[in-house]
Amino acid sequence: MPQLLVDQRDVKFILYEQLQVQKLCEHPRFSEYSQEMFDMVIEQARKLAENEFYPTNRMGDREGVKFEDGVVKVPECYHKPYKLYCEGGWLSISDPIEVGGQGFPFVIGNAAIEFFSAANWSLMMYPGLTHGAARLLEKYGTPEQQELYMYKLFSGEWAGTMCLTEPNAGTDVGALTTKAIRRPDGNFNIVGQKIFISSGAHDLTENIVHMVLARIEGAPKGTKGISIFIVPRLRYADDGSLIDNDVTCTNVEEKLGIHGSATCGLSFGDNDNCIGYLLGEENRGMRIMFDMMNEARHFVGMQGVALGSAAYLHALNYAKERLQGVHYTQLKNPEAPRVPIIEHPDVRRMLMFMKSTIEGTRALLYYAAYCMDRAAIAETDEERDKFQGYVDILIPVCKAYGSDMGFRVCETAIQVYGGYGYCVDCPVEQYLRDCKIASIYEGTNGIQALDLVGRKIALRRGLLFKNILGEIERFIKWVSTNYRLRNEVKLFSQAKDYLVECTKFFALKGMTDEFFIPILYATPYLELFGDVAVGLMLLWQATVADQKLNEIFEDSSAKDKVSQAEVLRRNPTAAFYQGKIASARFFANNVLSLAGGKARAIMTGEKSVMEIPDNSFALP
Amino acid sequence: MDIAVLIKQVPDTETVIKIADDKKSIKTDDIKWIMNPYDEYAVEAALRLKEKAGGKVTIVSTGPQRVVESIRTALAMGADEGVLVDDPALEGSDVFGVAKALSAVVKELNPDVILCGHRAVDYDEGQRGAAVAEMLGLPHIPFAVAIDVDDGGSKVTVDRPVEGGKMTLEASLPVLITLGGAHAIWNPRYASLPGIMKAKKKPLATKTLADLGIDASEVGPDARKIKLVSMEMPPEREPGRIIDGDLDTDGKAKELVRILKEEIKIL
Repeated sequence: MPQLLVDQRDVKFILYEQLQVQKLCEHPRFSEYSQEMFDMVIEQARKLAENEFYPTNRMGDREGVKFEDGVVKVPECYHKPYKLYCEGGWLSISDPIEVGGQGFPFVIGNAAIEFFSAANWSLMMYPGLTHGAARLLEKYGTPEQQELYMYKLFSGEWAGTMCLTEPNAGTDVGALTTKAIRRPDGNFNIVGQKIFISSGAHDLTENIVHMVLARIEGAPKGTKGISIFIVPRLRYADDGSLIDNDVTCTNVEEKLGIHGSATCGLSFGDNDNCIGYLLGEENRGMRIMFDMMNEARHFVGMQGVALGSAAYLHALNYAKERLQGVHYTQLKNPEAPRVPIIEHPDVRRMLMFMKSTIEGTRALLYYAAYCMDRAAIAETDEERDKFQGYVDILIPVCKAYGSDMGFRVCETAIQVYGGYGYCVDCPVEQYLRDCKIASIYEGTNGIQALDLVGRKIALRRGLLFKNILGEIERFIKWVSTNYRLRNEVKLFSQAKDYLVECTKFFALKGMTDEFFIPILYATPYLELFGDVAVGLMLLWQATVADQKLNEIFEDSSAKDKVSQAEVLRRNPTAAFYQGKIASARFFANNVLSLAGGKARAIMTGEKSVMEIPDNSFALP
Repeated sequence: MDIAVLIKQVPDTETVIKIADDKKSIKTDDIKWIMNPYDEYAVEAALRLKEKAGGKVTIVSTGPQRVVESIRTALAMGADEGVLVDDPALEGSDVFGVAKALSAVVKELNPDVILCGHRAVDYDEGQRGAAVAEMLGLPHIPFAVAIDVDDGGSKVTVDRPVEGGKMTLEASLPVLITLGGAHAIWNPRYASLPGIMKAKKKPLATKTLADLGIDASEVGPDARKIKLVSMEMPPEREPGRIIDGDLDTDGKAKELVRILKEEIKIL
């Protein structure tokens, strides 16, 4: 099978040539690991993803989740790959050995996750949610709670969920009404309804441990009065056996995509017999949940990258095989042979958009993951603050830009396939459907933009932004020494200046009675931020690739264009590096060059959106 | 019951093969190397035998240091130890030279069962197993699709296909068995993450020909009994030919018959 999911060469380029994650092994935390082991991990992930996950992708989409007599069943074909995934220890790849994990760097776990996600995202959601629940227990659980639940979650023996959303409390979590009523034994009776709960009920595991946000009776209104509870579907009875805990699945949503993922409505305590065990302190539920937010949002950003990656590689493969039309230099020649559509300039343009966008976004998300590793092993507070700052400011961009761009790449893949791409017999339409949810859940992309503008940029008097800007300035200095990339460096540098201008503009507006301007323009601002961040990644990669490519040219004594073209034709490594430079070039000229317009649009501060009366949108 | 598994590293079946300028070898830059799939079945079969009868599984291979990755993969699947014969003098050997080195290692290990793929997916010679068995004076059972061992660990029962049918064979130990079948029959296990971590600490010995008491003149290109003269790629497929012009269906059919008779001359 040709590579249809994730470009393994690109993954290794990011890991070893761009980020040089092998250097993490010099730190005591990772001294037991090596690049050779990382390679084995990536190879095994690819194999398992291609052989076991990918064949169930379409099947699971068609079969969907079944809800009969109160019982939810996942697509039958999910059981085997799920079991293999858990047995292989993949669920806890980057978790500490002490909790039963494998202890690999987060960035390596992230690479493995990309392969599985590209192969079957719906299936990946089950272990993904489980992992989030396990991490909450690791950080906030009592030793007893950890003993009872955490190990079983990290191993995948049981599954987990996050139960936030209610019919009238989605983005506005503070409005939730699920109640926790104190019991004489110190635990709580949970009563309430939750909706849109991913993996809320299914038959992959015997038990499901729900992490439920609820308000203890008498607690303050809003987010300040929310606590978080461990609510297993089956709870331990006094004799240690498992008994029903009065959690009922009320419905399973019919959705646009991710048909294999069980999105459930859950009812807690219909018979007043649902016990919840407080996690952490009372009224700290939001704080605790938000602690997992960075990881969860990064995971959703990866959904965009992974699905976009698979869509791109499918479209690329198709474009090389599909014969249609004549070469553009032969348009007037009726005898001209049909050519593969990859020969057509507009198709190439679409492929380059997909290639550069996916490679740059992938690099951004891997970089954020790498920063999490660096923060975790930092030896000084200063170093930790620095990398944690990068993570904090990049996460909303990773989530929103990753999911939005992933979706646009899926859409472009359908365009490459043409009419066939719109039909269900072609694989790419599923990627589009499966990808859409990524801009909605885990905090809509609108919320991400507000998080970036309202919190992260403003945090610590703008220190996070200043720090990352400092890093960018140092970077520009470094890449400026490369004469061949001068045009791209210039475009990047300008785009960065526009971003800085917009940021200052927001800071000034924030102090006036037009403070709603940054709120109104948060989404285009995040897009501009994403352009610059991805532009930086691609330029970084191009600089590394250009240096290596020229070493290859020198080694082969290829001095002129003709002999260099011959090297590029014969040497796949050289061709790969050339592709990296092309990505940076395309992105700089076609995306970064628009930064000025985007910035001007933001800084007009134009207010018609706010001023238009509601009934002027369309007459009733 | 101790088992030795002979493995070979081969180019990934997805790799685009290019012939080198000497016309006698392939270009190895940028090749992705994998364990020969039939040898991977042998690793799986060995691990299943070990699960039933106990003992130790040792992976044996020849080649440069890159082969370590394939041996480690087998160790990550659950094998216990590895031996790699890495000697520049072996480079360019034919199957006899390789079999000499493998036999010398196997002799030192003295296993009860030796397993390997019935062929490797690179040169497709299919001689390695038979040659090693011959050099060690062992019985050789080819194309196994099922292997069982009796409770006492004294003999093996092997199923192999014959002309679409099945033949069941029995042999005393020690014995060399080559693996046939397909991925769907053996379903070689995936290396788990704990397996990958354990593999790093498992013993993996690197030996030279001198360590094995083999004279370098017995192996290598000069000792080849079979010389590789040249290689060539399959011819590029010519594009199809479409009969059109202004002919109607009848005329097209007539033209097709004429071409088949007069030009291609197959009618």
